[in-house]
Amino acid sequence: MGLLSIIRKIKRKEKEMRILMVGLDNSGKTTIVLRINGEDTSVISPTLGFNIKTIKYEKYTLNIWDVGGQRTIRSYWRNYFEQTDGLVWVVDSSDVRRLDDCKMELDNLLKEERLSGASLLILANKQDIQGALTPNEIAKVLNLGAMDKTRHWKIVGCSAYTGEGLLEGFNWLVQDIASRIYVLD
Amino acid sequence: MEEDLSNTKEMSGKILDTIAQKKHAAMIERLSNLHQSRLQQSISRKSDSNGPSPFESTKSFLDRFSEAKRSIQNELDRCRQVSDPDSKARLKSELEKISVSISDLERLVSENSYYLPSYEVRSSLKTISELKESLDNVNSEVLPKKKFAFKNKATKKDQTSVAQGPDVRVSDKVVAEKSNFQIRESPGFRNREGGILVKHFKSSEEGDFTLSDLNSCEVRLTGVLRALFIHRLRNCRVFVGPVLGSILIEEVDRCLFMLASHQIRIHHARETDFYLRVRSRPIIEDSSSVRFAPYLLFYEGIEKDLNDSILDGETGNWANVDDFRWLRAIQSPNWSILPDDERVSTVNISNSETPSQSEEI
Repeated sequence: MGLLSIIRKIKRKEKEMRILMVGLDNSGKTTIVLRINGEDTSVISPTLGFNIKTIKYEKYTLNIWDVGGQRTIRSYWRNYFEQTDGLVWVVDSSDVRRLDDCKMELDNLLKEERLSGASLLILANKQDIQGALTPNEIAKVLNLGAMDKTRHWKIVGCSAYTGEGLLEGFNWLVQDIASRIYVLD
Repeated sequence: MEEDLSNTKEMSGKILDTIAQKKHAAMIERLSNLHQSRLQQSISRKSDSNGPSPFESTKSFLDRFSEAKRSIQNELDRCRQVSDPDSKARLKSELEKISVSISDLERLVSENSYYLPSYEVRSSLKTISELKESLDNVNSEVLPKKKFAFKNKATKKDQTSVAQGPDVRVSDKVVAEKSNFQIRESPGFRNREGGILVKHFKSSEEGDFTLSDLNSCEVRLTGVLRALFIHRLRNCRVFVGPVLGSILIEEVDRCLFMLASHQIRIHHARETDFYLRVRSRPIIEDSSSVRFAPYLLFYEGIEKDLNDSILDGETGNWANVDDFRWLRAIQSPNWSILPDDERVSTVNISNSETPSQSEEI
C-alpha cells in the first residue's frame, strides 16, 4: 500500500475496504460470502468469473471480490490484485489430498508485490465435516509459521454451513486493516 | 531599496540616475559572470567524457554501459575458472567487488534514464538482472564449500549457514508434516481392483468419503454423505445416495456415475457417463467425451434421504453443464446429453448389503 493510496483513503468520507477472496475450487468462497451477507446458500454454482458483494460492517463498507477458483481461471486472479486491503484465503479442511496444491497456490499469491501490504485471513473452512483438519494442522501444512514477518495474518477455523467462525475471522480482518489505514481516527 | 526611496526626496534626479546606472552595470556583470561559469562547466563536462552525464547522448551511454558490462562478464568468467586455493581465498572479496560494480552500473542507468529511450532503459535493466543472476550462479558454484568449512568452527558461523539454507529445512518439515497426515486420511475405498464395494451411511455420520485408485469396481454408497472426493477411477460403476455438500471428481476414465449433490465438479474425465441430480450447475474442466443424463437410482429409503438433503425435486440442472475449457456461447464439444436409447434403466441397489462378493468396511 503506497502512501498516496493511504492518504486518499483517509480523505475519503466513506470508509471503504477492498477484500479479495481466493482459494482452490470447492473451498467454499461463494458460500462464505453469501452466508455473511445473510443470503440463501442452498443453490450455488461453481463460480465462473467473479462476484462482488458490498457489505456494511460497523462504520466500514467492505467490497468483497469473490473470484472463481477452478484451475482454468486461476490465472485471472492477478487481475484483481490492485488496491487490495485484505486477502482471504479459503481452504477446504476436508480435502487433504489437494493441500499441496493449496500450499503452492498460496505461496505464489504471497510472492505478489501488489498484495504485499494486504492483511491475510486464512479460513480453514468446512470444520463441521467430521475428520476435517483443525486450523492448527492446516497452519502446519501450509507452513504459515515461515511467512514473511511483515505480513499481518491469522488463521481461523470456520464453517460456511453453520456460520461458525466467520464473524471472528472477518472482524479480525476489518480491525487489522482499519488499524493500518485509518490510523488517524 | 526603501532607503533609496526615502532619499529621493532630498537627492537630486542626477544622483538618482547614477545610482541606477551603477546598479544596472552590476547586474549585467553578475549575469555575464554566471553565463561564463556555465559555459566553463559545460566545456569541462564535454572534455571529461567519463563524467556521470556526458552530454545526454544515448550513444555515449550505451558505449559506457557495454564496456562496463563486458568487464563485469570478464571478471565473472575469471572467477568461475579460478582453481588454485590461494586465489580461491580471495574469491569472496572479488565477487563482492563485482556485485559493487553491478550496482554502480545500475546507478548509471537510473541516473541517465531521464533522457534514454525507454527501450534502452528496459534492455539495460534486463542486462543488469542477467548479470546479477550469473553473479548468483557463480556465487553458488564457487562458494558452497564455505558452508562446510565453517561448520565445526563456531556456533556463530553455524547460524549463518542455517540462515542460508532455510528452504531445505522448511521443505523437510513439510514432508514430515505431510507424512503425518497421510496416516490420518479420510475414510474411503482405495486401491481396489475388480470388487463390489458397499457402504451405508447412518444419518448420525456427518463425514466425507473418498474413492480413489479403483479399477473395474462397482461402488454402492447409500445414506446421506457430507462430501465426496473421487480420484483416479478406471472402468468403474459408482452409485451414490445424496451428498449434502459437494462432489469433487478428478481423473476418471470409462466409468459410469450416478450422483446426487448440491455441487458437482468434474476434472480430467474421459469417456464417462454421469447420471446426475444437482442443485446448481455441474461443471467440467479438461474433460472430453463425457455425457450427461438424469439421476436414476433407487434403494429403500432413498426418498427420505433425498428429502433430508433438499434433493427431492428434479432441477433439470443435469443438462446445464458449464465447461470451463469452453467459455463460448456455442455448445462445448467436450460433453453431450446421453441419448435416451443409450441410458440405463433405474438402478436398484436395495439389496446391496447381501451380495456374496460384496466387500464391506
